Amino acid sequence: MITLQKYLRQSATYKVFSHFLVVFADFLDTLGKIAQIGFHVLKCILKGEIEGKELLAQCDRFGVSSLPITLSIVGMTSIIVASQVAHEMVKQGGGNFVGLLMTILIVREVGAIMSGFAITSMIGSSLASELATMRVTEQVDAIDVLGVDSIRYLFVPRVLSGAIMMPFVVILASVVGVLLGAVTSDMFAGLTYRAYFDSAWLGLYMKDLCVCLLKAATFGATISLISCTCGYFASGGAKGVGIATTKAVVWSFIAIVVWDMIFAVLFFF
Amino acid sequence: MSIEVRNLIKKFDDRAVINDISFKVNDGEILAIVGFSGSGKSTVLKLICGLIPFDSGDILTSEGDIAMVFQYSALFDSLNVADNISFALQERKDLRKKYKPEQIKKIVSEKLELVGLKGIENKFPSELSGGMQKRVSFARAIVTNPNTILYDEPTAGLDPMSSTLIEDYIVSLKREINAASIVVTHQMSTITRTADRVIMLYDGKIVFEGTPTELLKQETPYTKQFVTASLEGPMKMQA
Repeated sequence: MITLQKYLRQSATYKVFSHFLVVFADFLDTLGKIAQIGFHVLKCILKGEIEGKELLAQCDRFGVSSLPITLSIVGMTSIIVASQVAHEMVKQGGGNFVGLLMTILIVREVGAIMSGFAITSMIGSSLASELATMRVTEQVDAIDVLGVDSIRYLFVPRVLSGAIMMPFVVILASVVGVLLGAVTSDMFAGLTYRAYFDSAWLGLYMKDLCVCLLKAATFGATISLISCTCGYFASGGAKGVGIATTKAVVWSFIAIVVWDMIFAVLFFF
Repeated sequence: MSIEVRNLIKKFDDRAVINDISFKVNDGEILAIVGFSGSGKSTVLKLICGLIPFDSGDILTSEGDIAMVFQYSALFDSLNVADNISFALQERKDLRKKYKPEQIKKIVSEKLELVGLKGIENKFPSELSGGMQKRVSFARAIVTNPNTILYDEPTAGLDPMSSTLIEDYIVSLKREINAASIVVTHQMSTITRTADRVIMLYDGKIVFEGTPTELLKQETPYTKQFVTASLEGPMKMQA
């Protein structure tokens, strides 16, 4: 005879609910680890425990090697938006505002968020898989046994390079985006460069640039911190490396959107 | 005394993987910890060097460093041999200001010579054979002149000749730096060639303690089963 307890355990509701609890517990666990490591990294940075050579190497990886993919993604997004917006706006008599619209869109949102996604896919996944591989091959344990703070050694240069390099990447990507917007508007809607750039500066304030830079630095540090944390706590061999990398990308994407929302509410609401 | 473990207990999910074990290793002594896979041998090493916390008991060590040689070397693949060996000297807070680059270079060269690998400072781990990687990890472990060295299956995955070479280095390092050494292994050759004493773990408990000669005498059901590698006996393999 089946007991009520057994029946409940076999029921779909129970399974869905228990799965939800496991996912929620994992979410809280990951969030806690990210916060804990984040504070440790901040403490090290404030104490000046930074390896200059390693920081430069990570800056090169974060800022230079990611540029082609970041510029391509932001550039193509600008082309897509401009090709759809410019023609319609010119038709409705608003051609003089295409530059303004594109600049606001790229500087406030597209530049930072698309660069964030591109960097997550390229650098975030690479950071997570690198640290996860180090974890499963006991390299992280070796660092600790040798008496070196593995969080300081592995996280500080990576997180700091994210915060330093991301604003440069975003600025460069935004410039490329605005320029490609002008070229696209000219090609698709016959809008002159002069008309585009005359309005481009109208909607751009110092506040926009400052928020854009702050947002970019936050995105960069967040992507590095989340990716490194997911890799650092990986377990279980090759499968564990894969899980850590996936988790790093998903968490970074979500974090970028959440930060973007926070910035929008704080500065433009 | 160099290292003493008293009534050590470690649980994973309420299951005691190390269940109230005690032992002592003196300076210049090599203790082999043997047992079938999953008996908790490597966990003991990780508890001693602080990689995982224990639930109760005590681990007492003399002042000085504890070094560990990992099962698969665990060399940093992004660093060359010289940087691997000098990692602690360059990165440890208490050591990095103590040594100048020329001194570090000299120490690296000395340690490499000690493990018979002179002149490979600029090679990367991926360019070395398994045996060479293991010897580089020996050199990395002893760079701070530790008073305790832990070896996690040092001959795993090596051919018989490389194993013999590694076993000889374990003995010569003991003589050289007079450290207390703990070797986790299940290879009979490693036990007989290196160990002064042996403890056997089963289900997280010590089921035998004695010399390698006593182990080979097979006077208890546990030693008999281990030495003959029999499936029949008090130790059951986990499915």
